Amino acid sequence: MTMPRSTHDEHELVISTQALTKRYGDTIVAVDELALRVRRGEVYGFLGPNGAGKTTTLRMLVGLVRPTSGNATVLGAPPGAPEGLSRIGAMIEAPAFYPYLSGRDNLRVLARHARIDVGAQVERVLGQVGLGSRASDRTATYSMGMKQRLGVAAALLKDPELLILDEPTNGLDPAGMAEMRAFIRSLADGGRTVLLSSHLMGEIEQVSDRVGVIRDGRFVAEGTVGELRGRAGLRVRAEPPAQAAHLLAAMPEVEAVGGQNGLLEVVVDTAHAAAINRTLVHAGVAVSEIYAQTASLEDVFLELTATDGGAGS
Amino acid sequence: MRSNVSAELLVLRKRQATWVLLGIWAFMGIFFAYVIPYALDAEAAPRGLAQFLPQSLAGTLIEGFPFFGGVFALMLGVFALGSEYGWDTLKTLFVQGPSRGSLFASKLVALGIVLIAFVVVPFAAGAVASIVIAQIEGAPIVWPSAWLLLRTMAAAWLILAVWGALGVLLGVMTRGTSLAIGIGILYALVIEGLLSAFAQSVDVLEPLTQVFLRANGYSLAMALGASTQVIESNGPGSFGGPFVDSAQALVVLGLSIAGFLVLAGVLLRRRDLA
Repeated sequence: MTMPRSTHDEHELVISTQALTKRYGDTIVAVDELALRVRRGEVYGFLGPNGAGKTTTLRMLVGLVRPTSGNATVLGAPPGAPEGLSRIGAMIEAPAFYPYLSGRDNLRVLARHARIDVGAQVERVLGQVGLGSRASDRTATYSMGMKQRLGVAAALLKDPELLILDEPTNGLDPAGMAEMRAFIRSLADGGRTVLLSSHLMGEIEQVSDRVGVIRDGRFVAEGTVGELRGRAGLRVRAEPPAQAAHLLAAMPEVEAVGGQNGLLEVVVDTAHAAAINRTLVHAGVAVSEIYAQTASLEDVFLELTATDGGAGS
Repeated sequence: MRSNVSAELLVLRKRQATWVLLGIWAFMGIFFAYVIPYALDAEAAPRGLAQFLPQSLAGTLIEGFPFFGGVFALMLGVFALGSEYGWDTLKTLFVQGPSRGSLFASKLVALGIVLIAFVVVPFAAGAVASIVIAQIEGAPIVWPSAWLLLRTMAAAWLILAVWGALGVLLGVMTRGTSLAIGIGILYALVIEGLLSAFAQSVDVLEPLTQVFLRANGYSLAMALGASTQVIESNGPGSFGGPFVDSAQALVVLGLSIAGFLVLAGVLLRRRDLA
């Protein structure tokens, strides 16, 4: 887990939305009064199940979709304004390219539209994403993973301050995914801000400084990965459990004791495991199991995005 | 803007469809303007053998632009914008930084430049065909004035541009290519074609046909030496009048281009790219 490297200062926000809302017709609310704040230099993980409103939010941030109400500021400019877009690199949903052009020519087209040094920048980003050897091939012949890499290369063309990446590891093999995660992390370490949307908990967990979880267009949680997981605790299986629970509750370092079926859930700093074991054994309680347990982000995600009918999908 | 236009020219230049359309259009233009009528009976042509000689180059070639050339320009216009929706590449372009208006303008300028090739190539091919026929017939090679050729080629470009603009509008409206081309050809063939034919017997339709692209395109061609008889027997692109004067034709075609492009531009700027 990594920690945010900047303080929560309004002046350091690169993305700020207020009550951002997108409705389709009278019944569909894709994004519902969303207040998203992304700080300079962080990797912000935007997590949510399919259909939660992640991509619609990203589309609004780059001006592809107009909000129904609310407002947003991206790098100090309204979404879609050329002065803001010139400092943003974005890959929204599946990367889209001219199928009859080579990867290199596709980037040349984009570079010319962005008015940047076509030759040097194009070769640099192709090298960064490892596509140099296939850059002369038509993109129609690319695999999904290669298109994904080209999409990231396109996002990097402008050497942007802010990267908005929507599911960047889609279609990549496990090695490619790990490589992409490390690459994204290195971009942030180099001073860029990254807004990373994904439904892959592992991806978000490994890369993000802060995470926002969205469901039905609304935030259901936001914080560092550690904050979302909650505090670690211990699981203790002891006999007799009632006596064990009584003894544990009396210990000053223990915050709470719960559990059922003989397995006690103890909210306590896991560093106290040995002391707890010693206390129980000295009191004549038979301890058969004692182990630390931290909720995974996946557990938290499933809990947060569960609907009345079950877990969100 | 220059950089944006250069990007769009790269997109059009490397697209196979651009070259296929240009090749077919140039081939068809020469085949139906020179090869077929000359091979059938040159003397029976409306202007006789002179129709196939260099001196008639301007009038002979422009007869094919108001309908046949227009259909090719329509397809090119549809491809220029409609394909961007199909491939979802507009999304990729819009996040690069240029405003939607500037991007649209650069696409139009690039399309306009490519349409110059759709005028120059058939004219060059026509010139070659007329020289060959003159050689066969032992006729002297006399060219029309450079001024007439220039005006004719400019008019040909204007006629293609109006159809290209309609293609752009249809591509944006339908956010694709297939439906846009279908509607465009339906309009060119059925709506303009049939109503123009009916207008000769139903007076009330006459004012309507005078604003059709077909009527104004052919009227402009007539002013530059096109033959009424050829236009009347131009197959699915035939037109029997009423013709309008060339000034009105220029105004109607110009306003049509402006109207199509403003509407397309507004749609492109205002609609969500979801």
